Amino acid sequence: MNYRPLSITILAFASLACLGIAQTAKPPADKWEAPADAAAKPNPEAKNPDAAAVGRKLYMRTCVGCHEEDGSGKDTGAANLRSPEVQAQSDGALFWKVSNGNTAAGMPSFASLPETDRWDVVTFLRTLKDANGTGAEGSGQGKKDSPQGPKSKGR
Amino acid sequence: MFNIWRLLFLLLLVPPAFAQEDAPYFVTYDHHLEEPGNLELEMNTTTGVPRKGQRAYVAPFAELQYGVNRWWTSELYLEGQSTAGDSTLFTGWRLESRFRPLAAEYPINPVLYLEYENVNEASRIQKEIVGKAPLGFEPNSELRQTHAHELEAKLILSSDVRHWNIAENFIVERNLSESEGFEFGYAFATSRRLTQSVSPRPCHFCRENLVAGLEFYGGLGSTQSFGLQQTAHYAAPVLAWALTDKSTLSFSPAVGLTRHSNPVLLRAGYSYEIRGFRNKLRRFFGSH
Repeated sequence: MNYRPLSITILAFASLACLGIAQTAKPPADKWEAPADAAAKPNPEAKNPDAAAVGRKLYMRTCVGCHEEDGSGKDTGAANLRSPEVQAQSDGALFWKVSNGNTAAGMPSFASLPETDRWDVVTFLRTLKDANGTGAEGSGQGKKDSPQGPKSKGR
Repeated sequence: MFNIWRLLFLLLLVPPAFAQEDAPYFVTYDHHLEEPGNLELEMNTTTGVPRKGQRAYVAPFAELQYGVNRWWTSELYLEGQSTAGDSTLFTGWRLESRFRPLAAEYPINPVLYLEYENVNEASRIQKEIVGKAPLGFEPNSELRQTHAHELEAKLILSSDVRHWNIAENFIVERNLSESEGFEFGYAFATSRRLTQSVSPRPCHFCRENLVAGLEFYGGLGSTQSFGLQQTAHYAAPVLAWALTDKSTLSFSPAVGLTRHSNPVLLRAGYSYEIRGFRNKLRRFFGSH
């Protein structure tokens, strides 16, 4: 009996298992902030009346599995996108987070989405409201600066 | 000759792109696991169009796919079979787990797949094609007497490249009930959304909700007799239609490429995702 294919298979599986253990041993990033220059970027889709509708479709395709339809993540344990902490961040900061992800904490990078699509998703995120009625308009937009940098203009 | 190493090398040069969503395949697996805590319910059927002298069959199977955590998805299969002019019977169950060792997106993303099967010889779902033994066409009453306890492992390599998903599965299976050696198989597939543009208007039957692709799968013999002789191979176009953001309809007519294959396998499936299933269940039972 030829055991060579089996040996190769076992070796491949063992190598990948080791990689997996190494990956899971990596501590999650506890501080996840956009650089100031990225956070200061204005949202080029902010004045596009279709941006939020397109962003919603993309959100329902790629984000809803973790963040849920209302953005709360209450059943999945993902970040609450309606929370003041998230809504207080600038569009540029959210764009940077969508683009770069934080895989150690479970958030994938969506850099492969076209840039316009990512801005559309950010525009849609601004339409999400918290249970107490706060959200884009109520929590973050009025403030001059967030910890991540200034808000985008014209919205 | 265009060899596999050249293809893998080219894949390494291309940056990863798009997807994140499930591919429409019936046999091939890609690297996208179920989101943690979510449960996906699937109903599928494999309909075998027979050769002359054989009987047509329909083999339905249910899949319950659960995201244990972000690197582990587990799945239970319950399968049955109905043969024209014969009987309808439960053919067994399968339990599989998929492990994604690397969380970040890479040009090639490996996933390890391990499955235990407790099925009888009347099983017809043809979820994977391995080895070279053709399907038996004895009456179901005879086939159901022979049980198989099988272990199966797959190395799944998958890439999202410029709006395309490309997935390769290398399969090894061991029947613990009989000494058949280790059996081998493969599955390759590619797919993409019909259009990348997203309309701001709601739509149901439109190109942006359709994903099309092509699968190839088949057996490669066993350690007792490795090779393509007497093996079954299929080419299968696949089409998936996202009915809603939670549910998808899929269809695939697979064409047999050798005389040991069924001439045609018609596969159809419906999937529905329950998001936050774990927390819903906890709340239902009164704990956190």
